[in-house]
Amino acid sequence: MNAPGGAKPSDLALARLQKAEATAATLPPLLVAAERIAATVMQGVHGRRRMGPGDTFWQFRHYQPGDPAQRIDWRQTAKAGNVFIREHEWVAAQSVWLWCDGSASMNYASSRRLPPKEERAKLLTLALASLLMSAGEHVALSGEGRGPGAGRAVLARMAITLSHAGGQQADVPPLEPLPRYAHITLLSDFLGSMDEITDAVGAYAARGLQGHLVQVLDPAEESLPFNGRIRFEGMEEEGNTLINRTETVRGQYHDRLAARREALVTLAHRNGWSFTLHHTNRPAQEALLALYAAMSVAPSGAQNRWA
Amino acid sequence: MLNLGALGFATPWVLVALIGLPVLWWLLRVTPPAPRRLRFPAIRLLFGLNEDEQTPSHTPWWLILLRMVIVTLVILGLAHPLWNAGDRFTASGPVVLVMDDGWAAARGWNERMRAAEALIARAERANRGVVVMPTAAPSDGAPLTASSLLTPAAARTYVQALQPKPWPVSRAQAKKSFLAARFDDPANITWLADGIKDSANDSSTQDFIRALQRRGPVTAMVDPIDAGAIALVPPQAGEPRLTLKLLRAEKANAARHWVRGLDARGRIVMREGIDFADGATSTEAVINLPTELRNRLARLEVEDVKSAGAVALIDERYRRRPVGIITTAADRAQVQPLLAEVFYLERALGPYAEVRKGTVPELLSRPLAVLVIPDGAGLGDTVRSAIAAWMDKGGTVLRFAGPRLGQNPDALTPVRLRRGDRTLGGAMSWAKPARLAPFEDTSPFSGLTIPKDVTVKRQVLAQPALDLPARTWARLADGSPLVTAASRGRGRILLIHTTANTEWSNLALSGLYVEMLRRVIGLSQGVSGARAGALPPVATLDGFGRLGDPPPSAQPLVEDSAPARATTVGKARTQAQAQAQQTGPQVTARNPPGLYGDESARVALNLAANWKSLTPIGQLPAGVEQLSLAQPGEVDFKPYALAAALILLTLDMWIGLVLRGLAPTFWPTRDGDDLAMGPTTTGATTGATTSISALIAAAITAALALNSLPAQAQQTLSETEQRRAIEATFETRLAYVLTGDARLDTVSRQGLEGLSLTLRTRTSVEPKAPLAVNIERDDITFFPFLYWPITPAQPSLSPRATERLAKYLATGGMILFDTRDQALTTISEPGSEGGSGPGAVKLRELLRGLSIPSLTPVPKGHNLTKSFYLLNEFPGRWTGGTVWVERRSSSANDGVSSVVIGANDFAGAWAIDANGQSAFPVVPGGSRQREIAHRFGVNVVMYALTGNYKSDQVHVPAILERLGQ
Repeated sequence: MNAPGGAKPSDLALARLQKAEATAATLPPLLVAAERIAATVMQGVHGRRRMGPGDTFWQFRHYQPGDPAQRIDWRQTAKAGNVFIREHEWVAAQSVWLWCDGSASMNYASSRRLPPKEERAKLLTLALASLLMSAGEHVALSGEGRGPGAGRAVLARMAITLSHAGGQQADVPPLEPLPRYAHITLLSDFLGSMDEITDAVGAYAARGLQGHLVQVLDPAEESLPFNGRIRFEGMEEEGNTLINRTETVRGQYHDRLAARREALVTLAHRNGWSFTLHHTNRPAQEALLALYAAMSVAPSGAQNRWA
Repeated sequence: MLNLGALGFATPWVLVALIGLPVLWWLLRVTPPAPRRLRFPAIRLLFGLNEDEQTPSHTPWWLILLRMVIVTLVILGLAHPLWNAGDRFTASGPVVLVMDDGWAAARGWNERMRAAEALIARAERANRGVVVMPTAAPSDGAPLTASSLLTPAAARTYVQALQPKPWPVSRAQAKKSFLAARFDDPANITWLADGIKDSANDSSTQDFIRALQRRGPVTAMVDPIDAGAIALVPPQAGEPRLTLKLLRAEKANAARHWVRGLDARGRIVMREGIDFADGATSTEAVINLPTELRNRLARLEVEDVKSAGAVALIDERYRRRPVGIITTAADRAQVQPLLAEVFYLERALGPYAEVRKGTVPELLSRPLAVLVIPDGAGLGDTVRSAIAAWMDKGGTVLRFAGPRLGQNPDALTPVRLRRGDRTLGGAMSWAKPARLAPFEDTSPFSGLTIPKDVTVKRQVLAQPALDLPARTWARLADGSPLVTAASRGRGRILLIHTTANTEWSNLALSGLYVEMLRRVIGLSQGVSGARAGALPPVATLDGFGRLGDPPPSAQPLVEDSAPARATTVGKARTQAQAQAQQTGPQVTARNPPGLYGDESARVALNLAANWKSLTPIGQLPAGVEQLSLAQPGEVDFKPYALAAALILLTLDMWIGLVLRGLAPTFWPTRDGDDLAMGPTTTGATTGATTSISALIAAAITAALALNSLPAQAQQTLSETEQRRAIEATFETRLAYVLTGDARLDTVSRQGLEGLSLTLRTRTSVEPKAPLAVNIERDDITFFPFLYWPITPAQPSLSPRATERLAKYLATGGMILFDTRDQALTTISEPGSEGGSGPGAVKLRELLRGLSIPSLTPVPKGHNLTKSFYLLNEFPGRWTGGTVWVERRSSSANDGVSSVVIGANDFAGAWAIDANGQSAFPVVPGGSRQREIAHRFGVNVVMYALTGNYKSDQVHVPAILERLGQ
């Protein structure tokens, strides 16, 4: 974390949260297109088409001994003569788990005028969380060790957690026992080992999680704009390599980057996940809009039981 | 030695290395530059990329060129290039350097040293030994000898240690020593000549040159014709105008030289341009200098000619007249320095006379022109007779009247005086202060203008007598004498009938006062008195004309050879004396020019005294090669070449850092280039760069800090003191003395806060928050009033604090001592007068070192009882204790008591807490007691601030008028 001007992490978190909310304010609340709601008991907006806790009327049924008296619907009782009880539809919330890559390679900006990738990823994470919460969904940070929640307090806590994190986290999300049918969003540069990424995504997909990959890249990583004799050094102790004339390898680099992206897209589609690419020289809203679209629409090809 | 025109190389074989330059060029071409280091997240994608071209990128051509230039400069520098390098030595023997180091060599000394350096450098390259031979007698009194055969390095040290001597060279001696010197003939002889010989018919110089030629080929180097030696002939003493005479040896072009006169402290008194005509060898200028300036002259010198011959020292013959002021012990203690008579006298006399101060025996033990007796000086009978005897021998006494003389007139006055004095003007008198009448034509003061605002308030009166008008030099407008004078023996006594300070008259503030004193001094006979015996040297000139301690070899000036050094100032000199002056002592190595004598009388011995002309050496004999000292010497390019190489090398390193992206770039990044050229601000790289620049910055800062550290420390010290002084003086503040007992100090602070509040609300005194004072450490002079509670636990005062306290009290400070033991005293000894409690005992112990006048309980009608409120009692927290003040006997501080001592714990009664409520109850109690306690505080502060205002007669008319209404 390079905190500008030595500001306290909490101040930084607050500033980032405000910025994230400002970014999210341009979009309506994000209701996740849920293929199958995770089996949670949390009150939410996704009707389960069955009796349960909720606000929407579901059905009347006859009073049976043992039912609490306060659940009797007196108007219906007076109309029909029998004692009826009003039952509501079970409405549940979708749980969304967000994971933001905090590894050292994310702390990179090719120019002073561009934010580091990490900064942008965290901003997107918070904006996304804010959007989801305003729609009544429950959000959690993957790896935080807490269950999903909603509300400003949760959002603020996430902001602080994010500002403390960074630098030492792994390249791939930790494998947690997440509830089935929850959503997970992974924000990273996905420049680490492809095998680890494939494994992680596969493991989540196997648990039935719906996922979204967001690749955050610096424009310099996209175009390799350097010239001349340069010794490139990795940011996570990967070693270094000397290239005498960088301009000559640019084409090869582009090919490799495209191959990596192709692999990522393939990986996402194979598991029914979405893939979004974002560059830090573009506004954050752009990525947020793309994510919004990806998450509010059920992935093509996946059958939605209640659609 | 390789010579290419004027350029020569001392070690030419190094130039062979230039052949290697093309190889170096090729090597630099093929070596790739060091890579930039760049941290990049997508490194995995870059591993194992195939490069289309394997050729490394080239080092830029301009960088290669820069490095070639560096190498070339290093090679050329090591080859030791020399411009104007001298020729080879013709003779086989060693190099002999004959240096004239008399006074005449001082003007061109730097050129001489440069020529000697060049010669020694040549000898060093030619691997010859060097013999150095000065021609003036050494200043340590040893005989004149040549050095032994020295290595060039040793010769360089030897030459650097040489200084021009303030006496002439001795060619006869030099010839003998030269012929006796041991070195192999024929030697390469170089003579750095000063261009002057003793006199026209002096043959020693020719002999000397012949002796030089006998031992080898001679090269003579002389000053350019315009830069030869110049002598300043000191003016004749006793003549009304200064005659400045300059001499030179060669008939050179017209030139102007500036002669300046300095006083004893080195300030410029006069500056005069003197022109040599074309081809003239001597010139004169007559200068009419005002007496005051002339009296201050201590030294005449020719500007920009640093030589003993161009300096004339001015001695007692020209000095100002010494005036003695009799001082008393009180004057020396300087209790009220700005009011003392001595202060006014000293300021008035200082510019025109040499002022001495002391007791009568001290003053009369040395020659004196005028003795000034202020009124404050008490004269015993023996002293009076000593003064009378001195007057008989020609001394002038100037006496001032004053209260003391008015009370006790004595015989040491020009006229008989009436007892008492006469007051003109004042509150109880109709008369106005008198002005001065115009001076009569017969008065020595005639012609002085009298300022309109000079008035005399009080004077002593002369007994009417027949000869009184004749003895009167100045009168007041009503005809009463102001200055009287009478002859006594060969001397004279004057009496000014008023004081020397402003007590009786504002005469002392006017310019007239200064003018009158000057006239009186001018009338005095001045100093006469000869010193017998040998005069020891006090300070002597060195070859450059700088005055310094005499060398050990300097001998006293024998009186026989200095007749009529004793002088009489102000009187025309007799012809005989003037004649005797002509044959003064000659300057030798034993008697260097300078000041001789002792503290009382100094005699100047000048090198050029009575010189008529300077004789040039003239045509050198055939066979002597003559060169000018002004020729451009050889220039050694080696250090320049190496320094340039070093600078370029630094530049190259910096360029290298920039090319590798390690140096901080100072230019702003452009948008387009940003990704390619922008700073790669990632972790370690940035860290390394910043830490390097931080290190450099720290080193520079440390170096600067080391330089400025002592100054800084002093600055901060004085700043704290300054801040405190400003705090204490910008606003009126009460102050209390810290006792070391924290509880008591709090009470003091609260008490003074309460008192300050009372003062602010009730009076026009608006004190700010009170200040604490550490009596051992802080300066207390800023405070008009100090509150000092006494506790038995208080440490005793150091001598310095006692001294400071004494000065504070003597100069108008006031301290309220509070022994705070009234309660204890009342209990233990009911009805006692106070002053016996533990606080009082401690107070006595504290003040043991101070001279507190005798004390008395506050008398009825004392200013303390009426300075603001009318009070009969002075309660504090307790009541009944006696308050003591100084007995009104001394006239110091206008009769205002400098100490007030009480026992009633005043601060306890005044004290308010943070809420503005009284902090302590009063005993026995009642709001009346507290109110009176506050009123006492107000009165004390008023008393401290306004002094005897309420008892001042001046206000009686106004008070009477108010009472009548």
